[in-house]
Amino acid sequence: MSENNSIKVVRLSGELEIARKDEIRAALASAEQVTPVLLDLAGVTYADSIALTELLRFCIEAEHEHRRVALVIQSPQFSRLVQYAGLASAFKIFDDSERARAYLDDGEGR
Amino acid sequence: MVVAALVAGGIYVRSIVGASFREVETIRSARVHVAGMLKQQLDEETAVRGYASVRLPIFLSSYYGGRANLPLYFDRVGSDLATLQVESAVPALKDAINTNRRWLHQVAFPLITTRRNRRQLELHGKTLVDRFRIDASSIDSALARLAAVANSRAQEAVLLVGAFAAAAIVAIVLAALIFTVQQFRLGLRLERQRAASESERRRSVEMQAAYETEKRIADVMQEAFSQRIFPDVPAVRLSATYDPASEQAKIGGDWYDALQLPNDRVLLAIGDVTGHGIDAVVAMNKARQLIIGGALLDASPDKVLAHANFELVRARSPIITAVSAIIDTETLEFSYAAAGHPPPVLLEPGRRARLLDFGALPLGVAAKTQYRTYRIQTVPGAMIVLYTDGAIEHSRNISEGEAELLEAVEAAAQQPTDRAANVIRDTIFTQRKVADDVAILTATFSAAMRRSA
Repeated sequence: MSENNSIKVVRLSGELEIARKDEIRAALASAEQVTPVLLDLAGVTYADSIALTELLRFCIEAEHEHRRVALVIQSPQFSRLVQYAGLASAFKIFDDSERARAYLDDGEGR
Repeated sequence: MVVAALVAGGIYVRSIVGASFREVETIRSARVHVAGMLKQQLDEETAVRGYASVRLPIFLSSYYGGRANLPLYFDRVGSDLATLQVESAVPALKDAINTNRRWLHQVAFPLITTRRNRRQLELHGKTLVDRFRIDASSIDSALARLAAVANSRAQEAVLLVGAFAAAAIVAIVLAALIFTVQQFRLGLRLERQRAASESERRRSVEMQAAYETEKRIADVMQEAFSQRIFPDVPAVRLSATYDPASEQAKIGGDWYDALQLPNDRVLLAIGDVTGHGIDAVVAMNKARQLIIGGALLDASPDKVLAHANFELVRARSPIITAVSAIIDTETLEFSYAAAGHPPPVLLEPGRRARLLDFGALPLGVAAKTQYRTYRIQTVPGAMIVLYTDGAIEHSRNISEGEAELLEAVEAAAQQPTDRAANVIRDTIFTQRKVADDVAILTATFSAAMRRSA
């Protein structure tokens, strides 16, 4: 998995809420115009609508720019919220990072 | 301090000036006494010579007067010289006293009592009186020297008074100036403080006013929702609640609509605009118009949302989650589409309440988002519940929130249908405050109006 080194990993954890908006934005901004991106949200247990909006914007922009983004989500609570937000239907979501990396590596090979 | 210095200085200057003028006055009166002394002696001498010449007793009256007065003059001049400490003139005074005694004994008495040697006596008398005159003149000269010194001292004192007065005026002016400057500075500081506190007060008033405005709008909106006249459709009983966030007067972006459409259909819509404030309200109204407009054009729920989404993306609207649903009162079919919004709850008689399918991006995110229409064939007595995320996210544990919501829906089914939304709200929020906006809309299908499809 030598290509793993080329995958940009953005890791967020805990409860994502309006108080952490700047932190979330900064984390996502570090992966702007980068591909592929692994959005590691395995440690996230909650996200309010502001945080979800930030995640949505990032994913939509990546899609527009034909960049590959994979999300790792493990918390059932957060997973539910992501489903509500429609992210699940529009983006690649995995429940562990190995599978997400595999998906991104696969894409690189195409 | 300035006042104390002025008072002390004033007292000092006054004492100097007072002493100077008292000295000058004493010298002046001493010189008068000396002149008086001389005059008495001369008067006596003239009187004696007159009497010696014509022997008329009338001449002797001024002689006796002089004899009575002269010792008093000697006394006064003596005490004057002592007071003024003019030791240099004391021998002259003693000589004058002595000369007068000699004149009385050697000239006056013989001239009055005898007619002998009148010529010699008168010459001797003249010599003695001249000596007396020289003594008086010498005393006067000493006093005159002293007077010159005292006068110049008095003049200095006067100058000192002038200088002191000038200094006092300068000091008073300076003090007044300093006082004024201090007052001015103090005034400036007070003014700054007053201005600061005034702007502080104004800001807080403005914030309060802004708060009141938002609170009022929130109240009016709630009032508008609670007075909503629902479609009068026998087949469907509707109920709803809307509770703005209780913590602050946040104008929420939560809304619901229930509208009778042509062809026995009822539109149910619910939504939530991300954020709060006037922008959220504007976006909310735009979304409501688009959804109602689309539904009136007989579009299916997914088409309604797709069109609304397209317009909202173009308008750079805040992100909005929504459910748009149609109830067909003829067939009891419930069709809906969701855009990033928590799923509707369905409760059918004899079954547990359950969450329906859902899932698509919210409105206002991506222009080309596809939505899907889900169609559910319901039965008489079934209840549909639409709600905003405040109803399940109060604890941040979505699974728990959803479970509580489903229980609340089941509890509401036991109550009159027009109170269903209130019962759900009250059941969920018995223990906790309404932290976020919460809107709940229920539709219960009437069992009595069942028709076959």
